[in-house]
Amino acid sequence: MLEVWHLIIGNPILNVLIALSHILGGSFGLAIIALTVIVRLLSWPLTKRQLSSTKALQDMQPKMQELQKKYGKNQQKLQQEMMKLYKEAGVNPLGCIWPMLIQLPIWIALYQAIMRALATTPENLLDLAHRLYSWEMVSQAIPLSSRFLWLDLGGSGDFILAIIVGGTMWVQQKMTTAPAVDPRQESTGKMMLLMMPLMFGFLTLMFPSGLALYWAVSNVIGIITQYFVTGGWGYLKFRSPFQSGPSG
Amino acid sequence: MKQAKISFLVVVLLFASVLVSCVPGGAQAARGWSGTAFHDGIVYAGSADGRVVAVDAATGSLKWHYPITAPSGGGLSCGPAAVSAAIYTTPIVEGDLVYVGTYTAQGGRMYALRISDGQIIWEYPRGGAYIGAIVGTPVIAGESIYFSSSDGRVYALDRSSFTLDWSSEQLADKLWTSPAVVGDTVYVSTLDGHIHALSAETGEPLDWSFESQTGFASAPVVYEDIIYVGSFDNNLYAVRIGASEPLWRFAGGKWFWAAPLVSHGIVYAGCLDGRIYAIDAETGEGLWQFESKDAKGRRVPIVSSPYLVDNLLILVNEAGTVHVFDLGDDPVAEPAALKTISIGADVRGSFSAHEGLVYIRDEKNRLNAVDIDRGVVDWMIPLTGEE
Repeated sequence: MLEVWHLIIGNPILNVLIALSHILGGSFGLAIIALTVIVRLLSWPLTKRQLSSTKALQDMQPKMQELQKKYGKNQQKLQQEMMKLYKEAGVNPLGCIWPMLIQLPIWIALYQAIMRALATTPENLLDLAHRLYSWEMVSQAIPLSSRFLWLDLGGSGDFILAIIVGGTMWVQQKMTTAPAVDPRQESTGKMMLLMMPLMFGFLTLMFPSGLALYWAVSNVIGIITQYFVTGGWGYLKFRSPFQSGPSG
Repeated sequence: MKQAKISFLVVVLLFASVLVSCVPGGAQAARGWSGTAFHDGIVYAGSADGRVVAVDAATGSLKWHYPITAPSGGGLSCGPAAVSAAIYTTPIVEGDLVYVGTYTAQGGRMYALRISDGQIIWEYPRGGAYIGAIVGTPVIAGESIYFSSSDGRVYALDRSSFTLDWSSEQLADKLWTSPAVVGDTVYVSTLDGHIHALSAETGEPLDWSFESQTGFASAPVVYEDIIYVGSFDNNLYAVRIGASEPLWRFAGGKWFWAAPLVSHGIVYAGCLDGRIYAIDAETGEGLWQFESKDAKGRRVPIVSSPYLVDNLLILVNEAGTVHVFDLGDDPVAEPAALKTISIGADVRGSFSAHEGLVYIRDEKNRLNAVDIDRGVVDWMIPLTGEE
């Protein structure tokens, strides 16, 4: 099973990353950024569907508020009516989950690729030998430099990077997450909105900076895409479900 | 609420997945792969738990051991205050001292231990300081001990005064291979594709150096006036000292990781493609090759340098299979494979041999004595703990 993983995902990403590094003048950091762009391009169909769902959810907000006013005291009825509304609009409220799930194996493979490619220990360098393709640009790229800007891409991320990762993730989530219609769910919603950025900020301190660089760049691309596709900042400027609606 | 629950589930999945990903293929911890050294009836090795051990070569009984540790790094860690050093270097015995370099998160140190009881006589640097971690085995020449370091410098220590003779300028991001000392020159190969020549007296770079488009994986070996070194482009390079172009390149299937062995005009080079190649040292012509395979017929990488004792060529592959060849009277002819013996564990370090016994430290942290006449493991002792 593990060999299949390496054959299909792990080793291709490792070799592409090293080849990109050679093409980009030996900069492993630029290679990670380039790979991030490639991954985002490949997952564009899913991202587009996610953004369409987000836009539709934004447009539905006034109706959702009406439902809240009407059935606020009957939670079961409120849920039924909301699901009905989603169905009528052809919106899947969980549509935003799939692009994230699709990226999971890429994150894992990227983490492995970064640690292997940078060969921080002699064991890693020896292991790398077994996984490289016989591409000239790959052999010429070894060894890779782990330095990029102020970062050691093979070492744990610092607080600056953690804030960048957490901050960009919060902005991206805030743009796409509809505020809770039910005031009783509002605190849960706020907690969820904070949990992911905090979690990834924490992971940045635990895992290689190279992986965190991927997260940060991916978030920034997500924010830009979101801004242009949905035509604004979405729920980022939204204050309360009981106010007039999204201002983006 | 449902969306919130699913988001929570995704986060937990993410966290678990990233953590799980560490296990099958993330960073491998530095454990070391120290080789063995035979000297005066004793086998010296570094264990996987950071101890230098001395073992009676005849009986396999432990004579002494000395644990080398380093501070764990402190901080908020709940782990132990000190952790074992990794030992990649093969112990070098000279006089009444055995020399070992270490690799830790803090850096590296060179130690000299008394061979009679394993007590540390000196270490460099002293006073709790570290230089870059040491991977390549040190070389003793004259009154100095030369070694490279992960800080990209070569060091020369005076063995009588235990002081630093010199340290070179930074030659690369890191140096992981052993230097070669010939006469008054130190040669060192770098992962970024250079061979540097330094004055053994002062450490100053000499006029000549060699640059390749690809990095060098193996330590350099100097035979007559030619340097042999394995490259990341799957070639073994022969570079005449003073030349700017290689004399020849010999293509293998993968990296030549182990330093080659050169004898009587023939280069014996083990390759990660699972073959050992015999190559004419002057022309680069392939003379013969042997495929080292496992029980399923798959070729097994060769990580350790071959060893020549009397007229027997000894090869150990990464899976721990020992091949013995009789080179016979005609060094050019393909030799007969005399014995094939398995020790049942992976091998990455170099090995030593004396009077028909081959001493191998394996990746299960055991020391093996293989009797190549009888084709059996004569004795084996675990190196973990107090045995």
